[in-house]
Amino acid sequence: MAVTRETAETVKDIEQYKYGFVTDIESDKAPKGLSEDIIRFISAKKNEPEWMLEYRLKAYRYWLTLADEEPTWAKLQFPKIDYQAAYYYAAPKREKLASLDEVDPKLLETYKKLGIPLLEQQMLAGVAVDAVFDSVSVATTYKKKLEEMGVIFSPISEAVHKHPELVKKYLGSVVPYSDNFYATLNAAVFTDGSFVYIPKGLRCPMELSTYFRINEKNTGQFERTLIIADEGSYVSYLEGCTAPQRDENQLHAAVVELIALDNAEIKYSTVQNWYPGDAEGKGGIYNFVTKRGACRGANSKIMWTQVETGSSITWKYPSCILQGDNSVGEFYSVAITNNRQQADTGTKMIHLGKGTRSKIISKGISAGRADNTYRGLVRIGAKADKARNYTQCDSLLIGDKCGAHTVPYIESRNPTATTEHEATTSKISDDQLFYCMQRGMKQEEAVSLIVNGFCKEVLQTLPMEFAVEAQKLVGISLEGSVG
Amino acid sequence: MKPSLLTDHPFGADYAKRLGVPAWNGALPGPKVEEWRFTPLRALTKVSFTPATGVGFDTLPRNIPMIAGAARLVLVNGAYRKTLSTVDLGKGVEVTHGKVAAKEGSSLIALNAAYAPESLVIHVTAKVKKLIHIISIGASGAEPAALHPRITVTAESGAEITLVESHVGLPGQTYFSNPVTSITVGAGATVRRYVSVDEDSAAFHLATSLVKVAGGGTFEAFHLGLGGALVRQEIRVALTGENANVRLNGAYALDGTSHHDFTTLMDHAFPNCTSSQVFKGVVDGESHGVYQGRIHVARDAQKTDARQVHKALFLARGPAIDCKPELEIYADDVQCAHGAATGEIDENQLFYLRSRGIDDATARGLLIEGFLADAMAEIHHEGMRELFTADVTRWLKARRT
Repeated sequence: MAVTRETAETVKDIEQYKYGFVTDIESDKAPKGLSEDIIRFISAKKNEPEWMLEYRLKAYRYWLTLADEEPTWAKLQFPKIDYQAAYYYAAPKREKLASLDEVDPKLLETYKKLGIPLLEQQMLAGVAVDAVFDSVSVATTYKKKLEEMGVIFSPISEAVHKHPELVKKYLGSVVPYSDNFYATLNAAVFTDGSFVYIPKGLRCPMELSTYFRINEKNTGQFERTLIIADEGSYVSYLEGCTAPQRDENQLHAAVVELIALDNAEIKYSTVQNWYPGDAEGKGGIYNFVTKRGACRGANSKIMWTQVETGSSITWKYPSCILQGDNSVGEFYSVAITNNRQQADTGTKMIHLGKGTRSKIISKGISAGRADNTYRGLVRIGAKADKARNYTQCDSLLIGDKCGAHTVPYIESRNPTATTEHEATTSKISDDQLFYCMQRGMKQEEAVSLIVNGFCKEVLQTLPMEFAVEAQKLVGISLEGSVG
Repeated sequence: MKPSLLTDHPFGADYAKRLGVPAWNGALPGPKVEEWRFTPLRALTKVSFTPATGVGFDTLPRNIPMIAGAARLVLVNGAYRKTLSTVDLGKGVEVTHGKVAAKEGSSLIALNAAYAPESLVIHVTAKVKKLIHIISIGASGAEPAALHPRITVTAESGAEITLVESHVGLPGQTYFSNPVTSITVGAGATVRRYVSVDEDSAAFHLATSLVKVAGGGTFEAFHLGLGGALVRQEIRVALTGENANVRLNGAYALDGTSHHDFTTLMDHAFPNCTSSQVFKGVVDGESHGVYQGRIHVARDAQKTDARQVHKALFLARGPAIDCKPELEIYADDVQCAHGAATGEIDENQLFYLRSRGIDDATARGLLIEGFLADAMAEIHHEGMRELFTADVTRWLKARRT
């Protein structure tokens, strides 16, 4: 109940997007547009080795052939993106900071406003934070402590220099540069992101976390994250995002690759709360993300949890390739769309190994004039004996101007496999609402409570720090949708 | 992405010339067209089909199923054969045939409209007790033939009719049947439709049904798919008035390299309507079963209750199942649900029967029949339920030998 009350209070406090401000920090920009020169510029800026540049150029040349291949199958409507009108590199002026003290005070101020006090978080929550401000990782904390244990947790640009053998081996091994339009673009122009390697047998003692924040106007964000969990290891990774208010649409095309070897487990949690645009749908982030995990080893496990409340357009399908025998893939999702937001999100579970199991729990909430689509694929390969899938997709509609859609694909090639899919669409029942209001709750509080209950199964899978924030977000996101 | 289209099909100028009609300039959907991703039509373009000409037989071939007491309407290669049909259908139902007009919708409908000889038109004005059995026979000559049967059914307000459609062919022939059936269910009218597609194993069958159900109308359909090289039964139902009620069900049983596709669209445009769909299938050999069903609930269609289930059972290692149950909902005060499952025969159930002295084959047969019984139970017409169940049993027996 305490959390619910808090949610209700937050709802009351916040009349408009809380995180809408632009921090005035000078950026070191590349000129607008995209060309081989820009890619060479990005690569040179990062002082990258030759092989990295080659990889980028290979991707870029391939991307040029994809002009007609921009995905149109998703249930999303947005004006054609002019890829030459965006900046592909922007970084805060001061780089290479030795400690937090050197971080631009303005930047720290930004985090404070966001409610993410970096220092406090280190001390109180025990979270190592690799903060990405625009495109360059500015501060990496707890690095030493983790280093002693053999954990590599660094910006990917740093890993390219320090651990080229790992980056070479795994980069693009789950999401190849030719995967899809946005992933190809990312492979060509990615600026930074996180690199995580957990050594054999280690249970990473703390949650690893990165806060992304888009700051520079007109800057496409192209994060690249690569997480490798070696045999028998475990890691929980948190990703959370907020963005300042602005009018132009911003493109974000991230790629996240996870690799779990024998008996390893990766838990990847996201709370996505980028600027969703105003009530009329103006502005807001375009979020085209390719996230995929490979359960390479036997008995490995990858678990995706996402709470998607922001962005004007969400195009995102965190997936699992279950290669190792008895590997497990799980996907828990809450997607909330309000006003003019559009979300087309879901997952793919590709069962290749024997005895592989997957579970999909998706909760879509649509309010205002928003459209919310679950799109998922469960594929059982011919060799995936005794594979098992369970899928549950529930949609909740709030108001009569929104839409909720469910598009599952189930492709089975193995007789011994079992797949199950269930989906429902309904609205908040008048009885439930009446029950709450009769006991003195305001309508908005009641809706927030009921929706939190609807999402409980998913929110429960989040780490503690995130669960609280997520519950608040659920309430905030639906603000103004009833009454 | 641009959808791919198959333009190198055999239904162009040469085909039209033989018929002496203007050529169809359309294209068939290619593998990248979303609605056809599970059912590639490439194989269809590899056969040089010619227009099916009237094959003269005075009595019906022996493999044609008969229903005792039913009035019979026979189409041979898409053309209505009065001499093989029941002429007097009694009060309340009138049968005529005429030229096809509309070219609405998909490329297959357009193909049908271009080359259908004429439409069989059934006009129902009262409650009709007698079953109307429509038999569409594909009969090739020396060359693989294509036929384009067209059936139009109109049930006026308050009318009632039960239709049975059998799609069969002469054994051992390659042909392509492209039937289009349009059904209009008037206000408060009831139409029951039981379709059996049991084509020859080398035959192609791509059927489209367009159904409109007016306010207070009831449409009940059951589609059985038992054979054919490449079969698709696409059923598009539009609920065009309040309190309409649709039950659309089906079953398929496949072996060999048969491919069967059920594609449905349930379009709820008005409030207070209900629809339910139960589809079940068993797949053996190296067959391929497909179910893709879309429920569309428009903004105004409040208080809609729409449900959809597809379950498929593997009988061997080798077949494939693809399933895509889709919900597209724009109204908030609705109850919509779908479910889908695939699996194999439950070993515990098999053990239960085996431990009671039932041999393996019989036990499996019982379990398969039991699995399909859920769908068969949706056939409200008792006689038809028995007939279709017998068809499935026959399929099972043939499979076992």
